[in-house]
Amino acid sequence: MILLCGIPSEPPLAAVRNELDKLQIEHAVYNQRRFEEVEIRLDVSGVSLGGYMSLEGRKLALEEMSGVYLRLMDDQSLPELEGEPRDSEKRLLSTAIHDVLMRWCEITRARVVNRPAAMGSNNSKPYQLQLIRNEKFQIPETLVANDPGLVREFLGKHKKLVYKSASGERSIVQLLAEEDLPRLDRIRWCPTLFQQYIEGMDLRVHVVGNEVFATRVDSGAIDYRYAHRQGYKDAKLTPYDISDGLDERCINLSRALGLDFTGIDLKITPDGGVYCLEVNPSPAFSYYENHTGQPIARAIAKHLR
Amino acid sequence: MWLVLCASDDGAAFWAYRGLRSLGLEPLELVTAEVLAISLRWEHLVGAGSLRANVDLADGRKIRGEAVSGVLNRLVYEPSLPLRNVRVADRSYAASEFAAFCLSWLSAFPGLMLNRPTPQGLSGRWRSMTEWAYLSAQAGLPTPDHSLGGIDVGGGLRNDGRLLTAPEPVRTVIVIGENPVEDSAPACIREGCIRLAALSKTNLLGVEFADGPAGPWTFVGATLQPDLRLGGDALLDALFKVFRDGLSDTG
Repeated sequence: MILLCGIPSEPPLAAVRNELDKLQIEHAVYNQRRFEEVEIRLDVSGVSLGGYMSLEGRKLALEEMSGVYLRLMDDQSLPELEGEPRDSEKRLLSTAIHDVLMRWCEITRARVVNRPAAMGSNNSKPYQLQLIRNEKFQIPETLVANDPGLVREFLGKHKKLVYKSASGERSIVQLLAEEDLPRLDRIRWCPTLFQQYIEGMDLRVHVVGNEVFATRVDSGAIDYRYAHRQGYKDAKLTPYDISDGLDERCINLSRALGLDFTGIDLKITPDGGVYCLEVNPSPAFSYYENHTGQPIARAIAKHLR
Repeated sequence: MWLVLCASDDGAAFWAYRGLRSLGLEPLELVTAEVLAISLRWEHLVGAGSLRANVDLADGRKIRGEAVSGVLNRLVYEPSLPLRNVRVADRSYAASEFAAFCLSWLSAFPGLMLNRPTPQGLSGRWRSMTEWAYLSAQAGLPTPDHSLGGIDVGGGLRNDGRLLTAPEPVRTVIVIGENPVEDSAPACIREGCIRLAALSKTNLLGVEFADGPAGPWTFVGATLQPDLRLGGDALLDALFKVFRDGLSDTG
């Protein structure tokens, strides 16, 4: 039995569910927007885990779950909780269900894509870069500082810098332009991340267990996800071959981070250098799959089996 | 240089600082989260061949990560960034950014650190009591069963974060590296604590026991922030030895 957790209409979850249907793999969906209809119980006895989850009118034994796909949003931000006081029973129930589910996901023998703790490195980009660096990938030199003088020095060294969020908060990657320099003083209130800009081709690599799907991204924008907003045409996505050994390196990087499924952002420089910018532990892969036809959802479905 | 990082109300950290100084661990600096919060200059560089974590404190001290041989890290949370000059709409974002920075900055210290930061906690990986209990059982420690469900998350787990209701008196075995500091515990308990520290990849761990359903040494909890004073002189000696000689395992 496979457990899918999240919001069923969300494209990645819907795509995996669709593939499970096609493969006729038994599965259940925990729709977190309907948490009030769900019951979960976890029994821990030594190293044995028991309990159940009541879903869609069925009582499912946790020990029968062989795979779990997590695409949960922050449970306290669910639309169903809008306007609810902090200590309302409804909010507490949501917390309780998600808390028990997360506890179980950390320790169950089922294959969890991905375990919550392993996804944590994405909350600090410079921290994650340190881990990536340990796996022998090149990384762009990155400065996080609150001293404008240090940033100017760093700019002098690299000539071209981008700035973006250091945390997991979504941000649009921007080039540090001449007109930005007068407002550098604002960083004194909070260390801010600046990064060497790497010229080259964007490559998104999805790793699912031992399977790899590489997608070349052509876009004139600094952050291709927001090409339109930055005045460029939408990015062009095409499958790309990395069977020259880069595929193995990507698999090893995912393993080192404790992740079964990743979206790895690479830059391939004109001289063939490979820089790793970031590893996304919960990638919205459907955007890439829809443009390229790469069977990522199917690979996840099979991996969960 | 050695460092003690802690909150300003962490009496156990101040005790350890004084004790380590009296044993001759010099130069040793204590920096509180509150002092860190108002630092004048933060610098953190991550590159292929470079890793830098520096800070100039408001009191004039300068910490250079590469010059720090060891850290007793008791920071539970990142320092509270003074946000009064940050727009209200940006404060939550700024707080996330600073938390991300602190994790990476602290991780960039090359020397020994008890405990190293993780995304789940600045002084080691925070785990739910369920996960600790599961690991405790794996380590062979007498561990009571527990169940979770319904709105009362954890039920009895809410009692000071321990596994049993009102388990006083609690006895704590503090493990530093592979050395448990608690002479009165039976050998099997001491060995189980070492295994638990290894399984949880934690170099400084407090393992808590009480009389319970699994016997007089029933596991009731684990903490990354044990009251070091409970270990007395033996704990200070163990800490001093670790900072002077390093850990025998991966450190």
